Amino acid sequence: MVLTGAVRMMGQTRRRVLGLAAGAGLGVTTLSGCGLLDDGPEPTPAPDPLQPLLDEALALAAAYDRAALALPALAARLTPLAADHRAHAAELARVIGVTLPSAPAAPASSGPAVTETLAGLRKAEQAGQRNAVAACGQAPAPRAALLGSIAASRATHIEALR
Amino acid sequence: MTQLSAALAAEQAAIYAYGLIGVHLDRDAEREQARAAEQAHRQRRDYLVARLEQLKASAAPAPAGYELPFPVADRASALRLAIQIEDGVAQAWRPVLPATQGTERGTALSAMTEAAVRATRWRRLAAVTPVTLPFPGRPS
Repeated sequence: MVLTGAVRMMGQTRRRVLGLAAGAGLGVTTLSGCGLLDDGPEPTPAPDPLQPLLDEALALAAAYDRAALALPALAARLTPLAADHRAHAAELARVIGVTLPSAPAAPASSGPAVTETLAGLRKAEQAGQRNAVAACGQAPAPRAALLGSIAASRATHIEALR
Repeated sequence: MTQLSAALAAEQAAIYAYGLIGVHLDRDAEREQARAAEQAHRQRRDYLVARLEQLKASAAPAPAGYELPFPVADRASALRLAIQIEDGVAQAWRPVLPATQGTERGTALSAMTEAAVRATRWRRLAAVTPVTLPFPGRPS
């Protein structure tokens, strides 16, 4: 047996198909619902439950950017962590089906305020990890792996800030 | 539960690997970290064995030996193996997440997260940068 290497997951294809089928069923219901409201205003879709996690990822990335500017000696350590959060935001946006704001320095109005010190960043990562763990616990199966990786990544950031 | 069996195989491989890794680490703090990691993997293995028994699934016994991805002869190669092992354990636990719910998913997430954190620790000791991955557990 080879010691390392990717471990294949047997049941994935079937579950993905089931997830898609459930999604398709939902789509049909929504469509017929729309037909009844033809003359009404466009219904505002409810925000995806993962939207706060996406906002938080962008806020954390922006906080690392500011911290790298304020603490240039730590920039080499902080910049990869910002990149991780941007990768999370991109994946979350893809899963939710929204477009990321193009300006990377967009004010993080919807995200939490973060103090740009190591202690402040650590505190923000801890809160972020808790949020990602909670999101993973409540998520439907097709989203669980991504949210788990984001939670684990945030935990490694806490370690990287030590 | 194919996913649980795969996680068990990864934990057994980790226990085997840490036996080797510990021998080649010469700093007390690193040896202690290897010991703690091995202990953590033993606890995860015991959990998986018990869970698979509950599910009446038979787990393949741990193989007598393993093929190492590269020779481990010194501190540098030991640290490299430790990083690979923890990345592999995280990869083995990740598919358990969509296959489980509630506390069982929480346990899988803890196991995956702790492996990822140990991998980061080993990367820092090995001076590998960056010390983190954007998606721990995702096959590279």
